[in-house]
Amino acid sequence: MSDRRVPLTTDGGAGTVHTPAMSDAALEDRALLDRAQDGDMEAFEALVERHEDRLYGLALRMTRSEADAAEVVQDTFLAAYQNLKNFRGEAAFGSWVHRIAANNALMRLRHQRVVDAVTEELRAPEFTERGSLAEVPEVDWSRSADEKVLDEELGRAIRQGTDALPEGYREVFLLKDVEGLSYEEISEMMGISVPAVKSRLHRARLALREEIDAFYKEV
Amino acid sequence: MFTCKDSIHSLLEYVDGELSEAQAAELREHLRACPPCVDFLQSYKATPKLARRALVDEMPRELAGKLKAFLRTKLPSK
Repeated sequence: MSDRRVPLTTDGGAGTVHTPAMSDAALEDRALLDRAQDGDMEAFEALVERHEDRLYGLALRMTRSEADAAEVVQDTFLAAYQNLKNFRGEAAFGSWVHRIAANNALMRLRHQRVVDAVTEELRAPEFTERGSLAEVPEVDWSRSADEKVLDEELGRAIRQGTDALPEGYREVFLLKDVEGLSYEEISEMMGISVPAVKSRLHRARLALREEIDAFYKEV
Repeated sequence: MFTCKDSIHSLLEYVDGELSEAQAAELREHLRACPPCVDFLQSYKATPKLARRALVDEMPRELAGKLKAFLRTKLPSK
């Protein structure tokens, strides 16, 4: 298993291009960051408060452990503070700390991992001998993604379905589809090829899609 | 013959716009004649959107308090 780490953990995204149109949130982060880099602890604490929920969510989904997630968040902000002076601000502060957190969670998982991903655990659509879908989708639930309020039961089913994804698949899914990292970044972070990242992502999406479909069939 | 299985196996590259023109044309032709695969494609595309919305967790307030206390012990106060 490779132990390579993504190279933009602590320098704020070497080689990245400053985004011309920063969001209001990113601009507020930028102002807080400037103050924090001048040693203003209150500004750094404000940054922590602005990002702790999303970091915790990522860490919790990756590690599936509240205790581990809390430690990942703690270690992440500590590392961020220790490297604050080196952060050049070319990437958004949020992206930077999310990548540190993802790396921390991956490192933790590597230490805990006993067996490699068991692909047999993944749900997938079934086909007839002629290659047709064995089951025709009964409900078109795709529009529920655009509804204002997400059904609570559906949310729970998705969280359970994500937690049930095998190791290696869950991380790829979270990093790509929830965190929005590129295939190349995930490949580098996880020490697997880009085609392997894509293959895992596709299978994870299919598995989660099956879970959501099963939820709607039961409703 | 291009089947539902072929169609579903190529969805990731299709959604990413990475299929060759010939492959994309083959898939589009299959989709025109296969409503179940169209539904499947829609739900495949909706899955990450739903996940992004469902996987928002709030850090428990007690934990957030402990984090703040921890950072205050580790970081210099100025």
